[in-house]
Amino acid sequence: MNAGSRSFGRFSVMGFLAVFVLSVLSTGVSATERLMVTGSSSVAPIALEIAKRFEATRPDVQIEIQTGGSARGIHDARKGLADIGMVSRRLEPSEGDLTGHTIALDAVTMITHAKNPILGLDRSQIIDIYTDKIDDWSQIEDFKGPIVVVNKADGRSTLEVFLKYTQLKSNGIKSDIIIGDNEQAIKTVSTNPLAIAYVSVGASTYHIENGLPLRMVAVDGVVPNAKSLAEGNLPMIRELNFVTAGMPEGLTAEFIAFATSPSVADILDAFYVLPPAE
Amino acid sequence: MSVALDDRPTNASGHGRLLVLALTWLAPAIVAAAFLWLIGDVVLRGIGGVDWNFIVDVPRNAGRAGGIAPIIVSTFLVILVCVAVAVPLSLFAALFLAEFSRASVPMSRIIRLSLNCLAAVPSIVFGIFGNALFCVALGMGYSILSGGLTLACMVLPILIRTMENAIRAVPEDYRLGAAALGLSKSQVIIRVILPLSIPGLLVGLLLGVGRALAETAALVFTSGYVDRMPSSLLDSGRTLSIHILDLSMNVAGGDKNAYASVLVLGVLILVINSGIAALLFFSKRRSGLTS
Repeated sequence: MNAGSRSFGRFSVMGFLAVFVLSVLSTGVSATERLMVTGSSSVAPIALEIAKRFEATRPDVQIEIQTGGSARGIHDARKGLADIGMVSRRLEPSEGDLTGHTIALDAVTMITHAKNPILGLDRSQIIDIYTDKIDDWSQIEDFKGPIVVVNKADGRSTLEVFLKYTQLKSNGIKSDIIIGDNEQAIKTVSTNPLAIAYVSVGASTYHIENGLPLRMVAVDGVVPNAKSLAEGNLPMIRELNFVTAGMPEGLTAEFIAFATSPSVADILDAFYVLPPAE
Repeated sequence: MSVALDDRPTNASGHGRLLVLALTWLAPAIVAAAFLWLIGDVVLRGIGGVDWNFIVDVPRNAGRAGGIAPIIVSTFLVILVCVAVAVPLSLFAALFLAEFSRASVPMSRIIRLSLNCLAAVPSIVFGIFGNALFCVALGMGYSILSGGLTLACMVLPILIRTMENAIRAVPEDYRLGAAALGLSKSQVIIRVILPLSIPGLLVGLLLGVGRALAETAALVFTSGYVDRMPSSLLDSGRTLSIHILDLSMNVAGGDKNAYASVLVLGVLILVINSGIAALLFFSKRRSGLTS
């Protein structure tokens, strides 16, 4: 008797759980239109903010942003797993099956510690530093100490921009530290007066304004600032792209039009990237 | 330590004893210092960012402003799915291994071998596997459900292992005694073995939940990146550890709220662990076993 009522209690608990799970599952099926956007983790936070603003004007729409790198963005857009891929570099000729929509530009620059007296480097010096032909700061400036060369891991879009500018091969670079992304590079250089790295101008501008001891070095005589950015004079620039398989239609086209319109200018500002040139 | 403090004359030289004594004090001191430094750093940098609004508000400006309410909810849901799936599964697997199969039988040896292999698999592999199986093949998409199921796969080895040990720790006399009283095997399991092994099961749960809460790599590709308040288990939901990763790696100026989120995650782990520890304490008292 006792055992019977207890097992009944167990069954009712399981039944309750089943109903709960089913009801929770079923609320997901509603009339909202969904858009899947996947790819570059440096574009994702920007896309997420743009998506939130777009959703505010279109309550029937949900935009899902997922990360995984530019390569994933290309892959997912191609295979139809995503409506839009996020790619933080220019599309390559082999990717002609995809249509790129540039939503922002991010310049790449060389940074050193603020204690380092170097103010400018030219292309050949940067190449020599990254191939170990120059391995001590004293070979360039009145500043002693071995150069700590910070490089990015393969697949990072800032690395691709850097390789394109220097015309070096990834395996030709002799680095002391290999790191993953801008924030890590900035942390490394801000704690090591002998280090040099290439990072996004946007990220370094933010950290310099907030007091980290960093300096953006003039490359080929161009100092990264609002003016040189706006004029597009900086030698290392990367595109932040939305890519689609073929020409976008319907909601996809609407969202891309919104993301490339002036109504997101303040969002781009907040991430220290530039609106694409007209 | 008792050796080093022993007064009786021994063959070991005084220097040797001193060295052992110094090392036995130094090693735990280093461990404790590292722990305190870590905690201190997180609390000092995080405390300024945590207030009531941070807990109940949604993230704004890519997480640099606003709070983490949807992220806390998603974290709880992912853990809930993980526990709801992993605990029954591992309980029955552990029962099979401990009660229904001899250790030497090929079947149980294969299970044990595969559990050991699973336990050694890096979590990013679980992430990619979970993405391929739950998100794509089973059509669940990036969702809390996919994330929870992936985590369940990941914590299965640790849960089964601790549960099996707990069940094995029940003294053989109890089984024999119960059988002598005419109880069937299933009655012995339900009435004797399971109640007595509850403390061990709770320890397994503690380890599993701890590992699940700290997980990032397995969830980036399964529960995903969306920081909206989830309205169902089929919605994508960002967990605390992914939020921390994104703020510290992808968002310039996200450091302050990253530290605040780390503090919240730390407190959450502390609360969940103390809850399970309290259960453990009471279940041990009830079972009367002191082991």
